[in-house]
Amino acid sequence: MPIYLYIDRGTFIHRLHPTVKVFALFIMFWSVYWVDNPLALMFPIGVLMLWVAQLTDSWPNFYRLRWLFVILIFTTTLMWMVFYQLGTPLFSITLFHLSPHAIRLPLGPFARTIGWGGRPVMLKITWLSITFGIGRGIKLAELLAASVLFLSTTKIEEFTYGLQRMNVPYRVSFAISLSFRLVPLFIDSAVTIVDAQRLRGYDFDAGGPLERVRRYVPVVIPVFMGALRKANNMAMALEARGFGFTREPTTYIEYPVADRDRVAFAVLIALGIFYFLLYYTGLGGIGPAK
Amino acid sequence: MKTDTQIESTAGATPAADAVTVDDVTFTYHGAEKPALTRVSFVQSAGEMIGVMGASGAGKSTLAKCLNRIVPEFEDGDFRGAILIGGERLAQLRVCEVAPKVGMVFQDFESQLFSTNVAHEVAFAMEQVGMERADMNRRIMPALEAVGLAGFEHRDPMSLSGGEKQRLAIASVLALRPRVIVLDEPTTDLDPEGRAEVFALIRKLREQGLSLIVIEHESEELRGADRIIVLREGKIVADDSPRAVFAKTALLEECGVRPPGLGRALKLLGIEAEAESVEQAHGAILEKYPRLASVAGADARASVEAQATEVSATGAALVEVENVSFSYSGPRVLDSIDLRVEAGDFLAIVGQNGSGKTTLAKQIVGLLSPGSGRVMLSGKDRASMRPAESAREVAYVFQNPDHQIFAATVEEEVAFGPRNFGLPDEEIKRRCDEVLAAVGLQNERQSDPFLLSKGERQRIAVASVLVLRPRMLILDEPTTGLDHREQLRMMALVRDLNRSGIAIVIITHTPWLVAEYARRVVLMRKGAKIFDGGVREFFMNDALLRSSSFRPPEITELSRRFGTLALTTDEFVEWAKGQA
Repeated sequence: MPIYLYIDRGTFIHRLHPTVKVFALFIMFWSVYWVDNPLALMFPIGVLMLWVAQLTDSWPNFYRLRWLFVILIFTTTLMWMVFYQLGTPLFSITLFHLSPHAIRLPLGPFARTIGWGGRPVMLKITWLSITFGIGRGIKLAELLAASVLFLSTTKIEEFTYGLQRMNVPYRVSFAISLSFRLVPLFIDSAVTIVDAQRLRGYDFDAGGPLERVRRYVPVVIPVFMGALRKANNMAMALEARGFGFTREPTTYIEYPVADRDRVAFAVLIALGIFYFLLYYTGLGGIGPAK
Repeated sequence: MKTDTQIESTAGATPAADAVTVDDVTFTYHGAEKPALTRVSFVQSAGEMIGVMGASGAGKSTLAKCLNRIVPEFEDGDFRGAILIGGERLAQLRVCEVAPKVGMVFQDFESQLFSTNVAHEVAFAMEQVGMERADMNRRIMPALEAVGLAGFEHRDPMSLSGGEKQRLAIASVLALRPRVIVLDEPTTDLDPEGRAEVFALIRKLREQGLSLIVIEHESEELRGADRIIVLREGKIVADDSPRAVFAKTALLEECGVRPPGLGRALKLLGIEAEAESVEQAHGAILEKYPRLASVAGADARASVEAQATEVSATGAALVEVENVSFSYSGPRVLDSIDLRVEAGDFLAIVGQNGSGKTTLAKQIVGLLSPGSGRVMLSGKDRASMRPAESAREVAYVFQNPDHQIFAATVEEEVAFGPRNFGLPDEEIKRRCDEVLAAVGLQNERQSDPFLLSKGERQRIAVASVLVLRPRMLILDEPTTGLDHREQLRMMALVRDLNRSGIAIVIITHTPWLVAEYARRVVLMRKGAKIFDGGVREFFMNDALLRSSSFRPPEITELSRRFGTLALTTDEFVEWAKGQA
């Protein structure tokens, strides 16, 4: 199983300066954050992401993560449809009736009565709740998609370099990039461990949701112990390669700044401002502008 | 900040100086009762290659770690004595400051690669010491050429084979031009091809005059060293030329080191000479027993035929793999495999990494389902069996015992399986007693498995599936990372299990293991089964062995020169004495 998302292509996105890529990731998050309206989430940023995915050949990564996307969009959309209660109902269903209850809390001078029930609990679907739900689904999918695009087009060392250039200390930026390398290794060992325990007759699917989480103890412990061992080996190997010799290691790979970087930077700034304005004017929200 | 010129000056060694001086070093790990190293002293001249051998826990790795200050800087403890590299004392230096002087290559090759591109991996250490880009560029290609990875610059290190990864790790330390390179069991996790690659590289580096310290279990690989140091319980018990050290077979065995098979054979035949190669041993034996020269090859063929009948004369089919093909996503990992394992079989599955050995095993135990074809267990289609049923048929011991151990005590760990199958408590207790005795861990019942040795953890893993009383046991590389003594213990256990009626399938890279223990061999290549037959038949098939880069044990090669085929030293000696 390939463990990295990076897809080696020579597109201009791949060749962008690492700092611009890290900045692009930030702007994607920033832009998506400010708006709720599905239309604003799709145009231009959603379309931009689709274009980048097409350009950089990143579809295999999206395909690999397809279920994550489907589940994310589906559950968030549904959840928010149900919980978002503003607007005129398109239809509503009475889920159940709760008979009235009241309790008197004997708290001396603060004694009071709390009551609930007596009204039907309704599921109310409005245009607004549908729009909001869809918007939330797209929003989360876009946050995920931005990360996938970033990792599909950015090498680990570029990521480190980009962070360094943004004045993140070398040790911190290296640790971040190293964790990207470690996660797939741990997933790999977790898969093996699940297999090993299953062969000893362990049933991971027994019980309710809470019980199921608890049932992963025979996996979590070996993964954790393995991670400690691996981390220890890695730390030794790092120091044996001179890690820590100087506070400011040199970089082998050169990243000259090109015109495309300047253009991309300007476009990203414009995009960031545009989305902030959408929020500021209320156009990016749903329902009536404020 | 140190400049590049300073690094160059440490690298440009004055040839007269000794590479490494270890002066009366004693080290006790924090919290340990006994020292890991006791009064260890030796001097390595520049350009010398020293092999370090010894059982697990003898102090080999501790010694290696002392040389670059991981001990005591990183792994805390009480350090006495002194270490000098190129005449310069290491005391007070940090590990990273020693890096330009001492290059370290570890066993776990995956934990020492940090980049997504081969050239950058080589540059990594140079970046860390703050070298200028122009200097890095000058050093990368020579380092890659030295390890035979020129042309791989743009590859992702994770896409390389094990041997290539380890060579890349060596290149990345070479680039700093250290005084000495220390390799701590660099080939333990590699397949035969990877081992051969790495040892060919070590020989080449040695010819170029690099000072090397190599920790290794297999004595055959260290024949080319200038000196061998043998450690036992932290003390040097031998420090001499390979010839002299390998002649001390009794001492080596006492120290948990496997002596080269040839030396032992000569000794048992009463020949005083030392053999450094199969040719030499052949000559020496002929000198003493000239009659052996006239023995014809008919003998060997006869023994192969005798064994062929032996193999087919077994019981009912436990496993029938019928025309199974499988692919993860992409090319076929298994291609129309047929395999039959019978009660009482002892089968070795061999083949390079990626040839489909483990995938085949996973098909049998049910971790994977065939793309086409089917797997039958005792005549029943495995696809229709529940885990509880198939677990009683066949059990699987993973290569790394740490992929399953999680409980606080050995007993709990072993009881985990039967508990999952809902066996009553007394039954679980009885079975635990039984299997813990079988694997020799009856006194470790309440011990924390994480604190036991690798060999013991491996035996816990065996016990924890054995307790389900399977009729067949598959062991994936059961001896990897174990020292010779632990390997023998493990294999004695496996042999006992086989004698008690459990069919055994081992997946292995180790030729002598196949020769000494298995009765049948299956050779896999690129997902296809290309050989399935008796062990002798396998070792007679020169074309097959050559094309699969599977080298028979030296003793088998030696016996072939006499026109016979012996799988073990004892067998050969018996044959030779009988003929002469």
